Amino acid sequence: MNDSMSVLTLFLFNIVLVNTPLLYGTVGEIMVEKSGSLDLGVEGTMAVGAIFGYLAGCAANSLAVGLLVSFLAAGLCGLLFSVLTVSLQANQNVTGLTITTFGLGLYFFVGKGIGEKWPSMTGASALVNGFSAIEIPVLSKIPFLGKAVFSQNGLVYLGIAVSVLVWWYLTFTKTGLRLRAVGENPGAADSVGVNILLYKYIHIIAGSGIMGLGGFYMALYMSGSFEGSNCWINGYGWIAIALVIFANWNPVLAILGTLVFGFFNTLQIYSGSLAGTFPGALGWLSAVPPQLYKALPFLITAIVLIASSVRKREGSGQPAALGLNYFREER
Amino acid sequence: MKNRQPLFHVVKRDQAGPGRQLLAYVAAVVLALAVGAMLLSVQDVEPVTFYRQMLTMGIPGSRYPWRAVENFIRLFVPLLIVSLALALAFKMRFWNIGGEGQFIIGAICAGWAAMKLGESLPRPLVVVLMALCGALGGGLYGVFVAALKVRFGTNETLLTLMLNYVALYILQFFAETKADWNFFLDLESARPKFAKFPDNAQMLTIPIGPFNLNLSLVAAVVLCVLIFVYLNYTKRGYEIAVVGDSPNTARYAGMKVGKIIIRTIFLSAALIGMAGAFHVSSAGILSASVTNDVGWTGVVVAWLAKLNTVGIVVASLLITVLQFGCQTASTTYPSIDANFANLLQGVILFIVLAADFFTRFKLVTRSKTGKEAAK
Repeated sequence: MNDSMSVLTLFLFNIVLVNTPLLYGTVGEIMVEKSGSLDLGVEGTMAVGAIFGYLAGCAANSLAVGLLVSFLAAGLCGLLFSVLTVSLQANQNVTGLTITTFGLGLYFFVGKGIGEKWPSMTGASALVNGFSAIEIPVLSKIPFLGKAVFSQNGLVYLGIAVSVLVWWYLTFTKTGLRLRAVGENPGAADSVGVNILLYKYIHIIAGSGIMGLGGFYMALYMSGSFEGSNCWINGYGWIAIALVIFANWNPVLAILGTLVFGFFNTLQIYSGSLAGTFPGALGWLSAVPPQLYKALPFLITAIVLIASSVRKREGSGQPAALGLNYFREER
Repeated sequence: MKNRQPLFHVVKRDQAGPGRQLLAYVAAVVLALAVGAMLLSVQDVEPVTFYRQMLTMGIPGSRYPWRAVENFIRLFVPLLIVSLALALAFKMRFWNIGGEGQFIIGAICAGWAAMKLGESLPRPLVVVLMALCGALGGGLYGVFVAALKVRFGTNETLLTLMLNYVALYILQFFAETKADWNFFLDLESARPKFAKFPDNAQMLTIPIGPFNLNLSLVAAVVLCVLIFVYLNYTKRGYEIAVVGDSPNTARYAGMKVGKIIIRTIFLSAALIGMAGAFHVSSAGILSASVTNDVGWTGVVVAWLAKLNTVGIVVASLLITVLQFGCQTASTTYPSIDANFANLLQGVILFIVLAADFFTRFKLVTRSKTGKEAAK
């Protein structure tokens, strides 16, 4: 394989590898938002899922334990959010932001506290193996796309499976339909006997759990090395909130959206080598400031938000009751 | 017949008395410190010693106690102004969580004024111009969202959130791009690095013995008083309260709701921009992490204080003590860092949010409702 081909292949491969946590975060947040709750605590929830999932996975030397604990730990953040906003009628924006503050505080507290005794990922063979690429025979040999799509680790495939499953659940099942009703018009849903409290609790917790899986992925991607200054999640939670809007609250579109946002995210790292390999066609890439690539996901989302509000929500998947607490006696 | 009534149900109550609310706050802080103490003991840190170091902020026994107070004020002033400004917006149920972005834009505009005018104009004038530029920049960045919200009903929470990051990367762009036009950078440094502002762009200070009183603290106190008067004793302040309570009532009363929202959000964002200007002027230099998360913390403070001006002064003092104190105390412990303040802050707010419920609502048990029905 010549040099220019390998650069391009690696670029495509990394778009998927580096950005899958975004997909988990986004699909989790879609599930939460479909119940009518805007949870701004994605960043903190992912951080909590990441650190506890990683530590448990290392201690048990098992990928399944890591996944389960990250789901449960992040689910606890969801439970906290539900108790405060659903049962105790607290403001959702403030509660979400506090979950982020608290989650990051907890992340650094646990990490710093363990200090020297921090487990390294090389000691947990199950995690290393679980995160290594699964080559799908024949398909993975397709030039360019083969490596990017058919030679990823198991958690990438799991992420795609979860998105499709959530999409199917929201679109085609009876409980999914009721959930959407809760997010659109809780008063109407309540009057036909849907248990609003139960629906909100379950889906906020499950959605937060899915975000936690993304955090666990991030921990493995960073090889589990704890740095005192930067959190593993590194802003992915916020991009996920943007991606929910970009994907129009549709988990399958979220896969596509992850690739688009991932493209910019990865271009920021690869623009130099791409420009070097293809000086004729892509030489201009090195002249673009890298900060533009970082800003683009947020800029695009801002434009989508404005455009969809100008069109008066036609075809928008945004739940009508998003961000509003439901109090039965005020119906 | 089987009684199908639930065990209890929730009804709204009239505003609980101030004593009850004060009790909730004190309980929240005490509980949070207790949770923190438990966590600290797990890490083998003596909680009492840690808390003593945290609350005294390393001032006693320090060789330069005044230096610590000056640094404390530098943290306190931006938080106070941003929280006040956010409370203005929240009073109208406009969820401006774009404090970070407005702060950054304010800081950049103030930096522009400092670099362009700092050499040629007298110091008091430069400092005032920086504040005005910051206010204008931050204000316009915020009012853009307000206009869209009024005109098209755009979701302001999500849009201000996105604009935070756009502002952050604009700042990073200036911080990392070495070019002839980029007057923000230090020309002599090989790596891109922000240049120090000219001397005339440094915040004015009043020397009191060895202590230099930062003039932005005086400005912040004056702003507090002005906002308190504005909200409680002017027609415009009253309009904010009415729009926040019920936009429809305001409309029936003949108020121009859109105009009030746009005006107030401009004021709110401009104050945040001005806080950014004060901050860079006190620091004497721009930095890529200029906000110190003040836009997020401001939301917490405004909410802790229930948007009450006097409450905001108290809450921002408390949060600054937590943050500054943790920063100082953590230097002696390898296993704790400044983020411990975030953890405590989170626990305090969780408890206050939960306690809030019991001041706004009350539980009525089944037996009681039964009796009422029998009457």
